[in-house]
Amino acid sequence: MAPDTGTRTLISQAQLRRGRGRAAYWTLLAVVVVGFTLVFLGPLYWMVTGALKSGQEIAQTPPSLFPQDPQWQNYADAWHNLALAKLLFNTFYYATGAVLFQLVFDTAAAYALSKLRPVLGNVILGMMLATLMIPAMVLIVPQYVTVIDLPILHINLLDSPFAIWLPLVANAFNIFLLKRFFDSIPEDLMAAALMDGATPLRTLWSIVLPMSRPILGVVSIFAVTAVWKDFLWPKLVMPSPETRTVSVGIYAFAGGTPMNVVIAASVIAAIPTVVIFLVFQRNIMSGLTTGGLKG
Amino acid sequence: MSVPQYRKAAALTLVAGLGLGLAACSTKSGDTSGDASGKVTITVDCQPVGAQKELLQNWNADVAEFQRQNPDIVVKSVSVGEQCNNPPDFTARLAGGTVTDVFYGYMTDLQQVLDSGQAMDITEYATTDTIPTWDSVDPALKEVFTDDGKLYAVPVKNYSMGLVYNKVLFQRAGLDVNSPPKTWAEVRDAAKKISALGDGIAGYAEYSAGNTGGWHFTALLYSQGGQVLTADGSRADFNNALGRQVLQNLKDMRYGDDSMGDRQLLQWGDLLTNAGAGKVGMFIGAPDATQAIVSQFQGRFEDWAMGPLPGQDGPAKSTLGGGEGYFFKKDLTPEQVRAGLKWIAYQKLTPGKGQLDYVRAKPQNYPVGLPQPLLFTNGSQAQQQELELRKANANVDTANFANFEANPVPIKGEPRNAQAIYAVLDAVMSGVLTNPNANIDALLRTAEEKVNKLLAAES
Amino acid sequence: MTITTAPGAVRAADRPGTSPPAQARRTSLGRTVRDQLTGHAFLIGAVLCFAVFSWYPMVRGVVMSFQRTRRGETTWVGWDNYLRILDDPSFWTAWQNTFYFTGLALVLGYAVPFFVAILLNEFRHARGYLRILVYLPVMLPPASALFLFKFYAYDPSDAGLFNAILKAFGLPTSQWMQSPEMTMPAMVIASTWMNMGSAVLIYLAALQNIPGELYEAAELDGAGIWRRIMHVTIPQTRLILALLAMLQIVATMQLFIEPLILANGAGAEDSATSVAYLIYQHGFFQNDLNGAAALGVIMLVVLAGFSAVYLRLTARQD
Repeated sequence: MAPDTGTRTLISQAQLRRGRGRAAYWTLLAVVVVGFTLVFLGPLYWMVTGALKSGQEIAQTPPSLFPQDPQWQNYADAWHNLALAKLLFNTFYYATGAVLFQLVFDTAAAYALSKLRPVLGNVILGMMLATLMIPAMVLIVPQYVTVIDLPILHINLLDSPFAIWLPLVANAFNIFLLKRFFDSIPEDLMAAALMDGATPLRTLWSIVLPMSRPILGVVSIFAVTAVWKDFLWPKLVMPSPETRTVSVGIYAFAGGTPMNVVIAASVIAAIPTVVIFLVFQRNIMSGLTTGGLKG
Repeated sequence: MSVPQYRKAAALTLVAGLGLGLAACSTKSGDTSGDASGKVTITVDCQPVGAQKELLQNWNADVAEFQRQNPDIVVKSVSVGEQCNNPPDFTARLAGGTVTDVFYGYMTDLQQVLDSGQAMDITEYATTDTIPTWDSVDPALKEVFTDDGKLYAVPVKNYSMGLVYNKVLFQRAGLDVNSPPKTWAEVRDAAKKISALGDGIAGYAEYSAGNTGGWHFTALLYSQGGQVLTADGSRADFNNALGRQVLQNLKDMRYGDDSMGDRQLLQWGDLLTNAGAGKVGMFIGAPDATQAIVSQFQGRFEDWAMGPLPGQDGPAKSTLGGGEGYFFKKDLTPEQVRAGLKWIAYQKLTPGKGQLDYVRAKPQNYPVGLPQPLLFTNGSQAQQQELELRKANANVDTANFANFEANPVPIKGEPRNAQAIYAVLDAVMSGVLTNPNANIDALLRTAEEKVNKLLAAES
Repeated sequence: MTITTAPGAVRAADRPGTSPPAQARRTSLGRTVRDQLTGHAFLIGAVLCFAVFSWYPMVRGVVMSFQRTRRGETTWVGWDNYLRILDDPSFWTAWQNTFYFTGLALVLGYAVPFFVAILLNEFRHARGYLRILVYLPVMLPPASALFLFKFYAYDPSDAGLFNAILKAFGLPTSQWMQSPEMTMPAMVIASTWMNMGSAVLIYLAALQNIPGELYEAAELDGAGIWRRIMHVTIPQTRLILALLAMLQIVATMQLFIEPLILANGAGAEDSATSVAYLIYQHGFFQNDLNGAAALGVIMLVVLAGFSAVYLRLTARQD
């Protein structure tokens, strides 16, 4: 793509450089920057400072912009009373495991479907894709009953991290993304490797995977976000306070904890991912925007 | 995208994953019923959570002392959260079979526990051999946990509801702190005066979400002399003049006088948070509501007092009572059942020990002197002992509860299938508390229809 | 990204003799068997997970919906569970609420991110900053974001954030979650705020792929900005738009944590009860897993209807 045409969007650059267009551009930009800051950062500011206010100050009309008498104790209480360290540890533990399980099993499956193409491969792919249209809520009850008593094995997975990891492997969207990416890897490369006597595993490891880093990054991001965002499933399969995720833990404690402390806990819980996001935002953004999500 | 950065990230993730993997954390309550040394192990839930520091310390000390006295028994404690029985979690544990060997439940849970097939008949084990004070335990409480002549749980707490009020706000509003309102009309007057103090203070606060709305509707209905279900438990019985009166009282306060505060859809902790912050004049609750206000919601004991539940034109016709007990999981060995009963006897039912160890509780931020737990029959030996200890060690002004104690109201238990019915009745409460134009008749009619369908489906 | 064309692509690649490996595989029977085994060995992990946690539960859900389990004993009860569920007045309320939410979410949660993406795509400055801002709420744990809305934004007193702002502008304040009329819009606003980041990024990627010549040509034809959006931007991103519409509908069917946290469950006069919440209520409050399974099956049927309509519509466009 030539650089000139590549940057041409809805409105031409030339138009934006001209007098009126230029003024309009800068005005709009200023409005949007200020507006977005208020809309997306404003609530976060409110949350961080709100957790510092006393119960009385919260109920004050009109609300105060800065906490008059910061109650740092609220943050300390939240950290200790909700055992946030444990909740955060659990969440990251589940997220890490989810990434590893999905990378291993989904990549292997997508590779088989794309390059090895065993008999019935298409049927299997079709059956996997069919699950895309089924929201998790439809299956929540039978899935739960299955996890309590796994068929044939009769193992109870409640409170075990596998109850989160294994169902996440059954992710048709990831397999679909990976398979599409593998499809685009030229057949000649594979053939050459095969001629050299490389096993399928070796081909996958030394040819396919090195070329697939962007898509593997995307799948990892999706895996982490899925664990991070999920609520009902971890609430059901991790019933003990020791095994809860951070979202479920905060919710469970909200009923018996003063509101300020709940908000303080919410702030602390958000810090690690926000920091991780800010540090890796370039990779995450470019991964999401270039890695196979094109129209 | 730069490849090295990705590699670094992946490496980090991998290292983190391996590190965490080593520290794998599963806290399943083991099915260790006994080990080589001949010890009996039982798992018990409802251990206090970390936030309840002193309660947790006491519990752990009790476990240590109990194991010292019974060297052949090992008690493994499991904490299931601040609220030991949060209905959905409780249901999940029952359905999943992950309840502990000896598990906590409400008096209303018996049917559900039986339905789940997790309950064990402990009739033959519950004797003075295992629970020395068993003959003093109120037979009415044992009856609550009995089905078809078989006992399934041991009661460990019993309460009844009254009117809890904030003395400081009463004083500020010019009300007499020693004579709380006795009728709903008086409650309305007092609420009006208290909310006139402004500052977001609600004169009277009420629940309307998370099943607590239905729970309190039931108590309010009892105060009118009504009942949620007909005597045989087959049909709803609140769509009548009594039910309408309950809602009309609330509607008058909420929208007639605007004396119930702006924030509604409250559930358990929401109301108590406001109460702890000094924003609630009155609410109905059990004596231990004050305990939660103090230990969890940053309130103070000396602010709170309690009177009997008000009625429509005089004292309440009856009040809601409820309580807790410990069930036993099916398939325990006889040794385990006996060990569990001994533990409950020690921690819950022995005056001077465990939850009744008032000497220990006195200096702690934990109330002694509340008219609770009402476990023993009036006049029994255990009751006398418990009462004397309680009086001797009281750390709250018992005068604050004298009014409540001196005017007992007949106690009525919760309806069968209570949680499901409460969920339906939440809508009635939220309707009247959030909609100025709520149609009381329509609300009650819809709820009646829903409850009847629910009951029909049960049978 | 087009799900519909994928099977076609697979078929094309499967045609015999198109590539050397395919011929090589044919040379010996043993080799073929071994290749097949290898292929399935690579598949086995994912297939097992699908089988146990997806395909089997689907069958199990249908089976459960015709059974009733009491005191540990399971019996067949025919359509009883369905009749009971359909007879519950909350059932219709929940569907009404859910469809209302879906409709609002399509207007707000679907259109807004698209136009935000178009806007962001025009800017030559502060792009990174704006992208980060929009994506930031996605990084919050959902419970955190919702407690923020519940306690601060939707506080019905004048001390609440939104009410304070409305008041400052002399506008009438709202009861938010305590008003049955505002419950759903308030939930959509919260849900859009915390989820729109991902959609914006996906749209941005799609927009960057539109060849600039198309806009130039349209401009030469005298098309204004609005017409350029209608005739270039939207047709060029049609596939991604269609896919996200479907995913959005599927996602709104899952409406659960919003009512649970913002409305403490059912909300004012059942105005927040969603079908997903009803499933939870039946399964885990009323101890009626079989009824909940039946509700799940009903939801599946409704979605199948949606999918059929969707496929027909997209097929006609092609």
